[in-house]
Amino acid sequence: MLSTDLRNNILVVRVEEKRIDASKAPAFKDQMSQCIEAGQNQIVLDLSQVDFIDSSGLGALVSCLKRLGPRGSLAVAGATGAVSRLFTLTRMDRVFALHQSVDSAVEQLSA
Amino acid sequence: MVSSISLSIDSDLDKVSLLARAVRALCADLLSPEDQDAVELSLVEAINNVIKHGYHGERGKDVQVAVGLQADQVVIEIIDHAPPMPAQVLENVPEDTFAFDETDLADIPEGGMGLALIRMNMDEVQYHSSEAENRLRMIKRIGGPGSRG
Repeated sequence: MLSTDLRNNILVVRVEEKRIDASKAPAFKDQMSQCIEAGQNQIVLDLSQVDFIDSSGLGALVSCLKRLGPRGSLAVAGATGAVSRLFTLTRMDRVFALHQSVDSAVEQLSA
Repeated sequence: MVSSISLSIDSDLDKVSLLARAVRALCADLLSPEDQDAVELSLVEAINNVIKHGYHGERGKDVQVAVGLQADQVVIEIIDHAPPMPAQVLENVPEDTFAFDETDLADIPEGGMGLALIRMNMDEVQYHSSEAENRLRMIKRIGGPGSRG
């Protein structure tokens, strides 16, 4: 469900699913946890393929953020439509740095 | 124009997206994309609650959805036969679910957001349980407040 790519020491994680819902959230959390446990603490999550996230999916993202801890960072790239709207509605846009593209997210985290 | 349709799935989280896509398609001509998002999210949250909390994740139970397409509103009812949700739960959904302190990691919610999202996304939400069934009724008004359609 996830593919990864290391750019400037930043892990770019691309979600290869259309939906992160209650049926997918546990696997998403597990795979993200493995990345974090492997020592990555600067992560850009590419949501450009995702067109729906429910509260279970959002909760899984928050759980990853907590696992990263205060020294890590989890930026979100490519959120559009319903996904972007969910971040705004739940005020999670204050928690996750939202970027239009992976490039701009990587650039900002590298700066 | 008034038309209605009933759909049902087995209580399996893997099947919720099928219902969500079907209901979204039914509303496509009536609601703006933003309102379709609102209905789809509310439906998914409601069904997840039934499967996770009502049926405790047990498969093989029934979840029915009745969709009513009316001239001025879309009415979605979710019908289940699980033990009912306590009556006051819906009334007592905290207003401040998303008023967390974003600088405090521990304060950011990981769960308990479903009912709050339903309340925010639908114009009316009612819950009735009887001997026979539980019924969550959610209404989205066409071109109503907050709609850009």
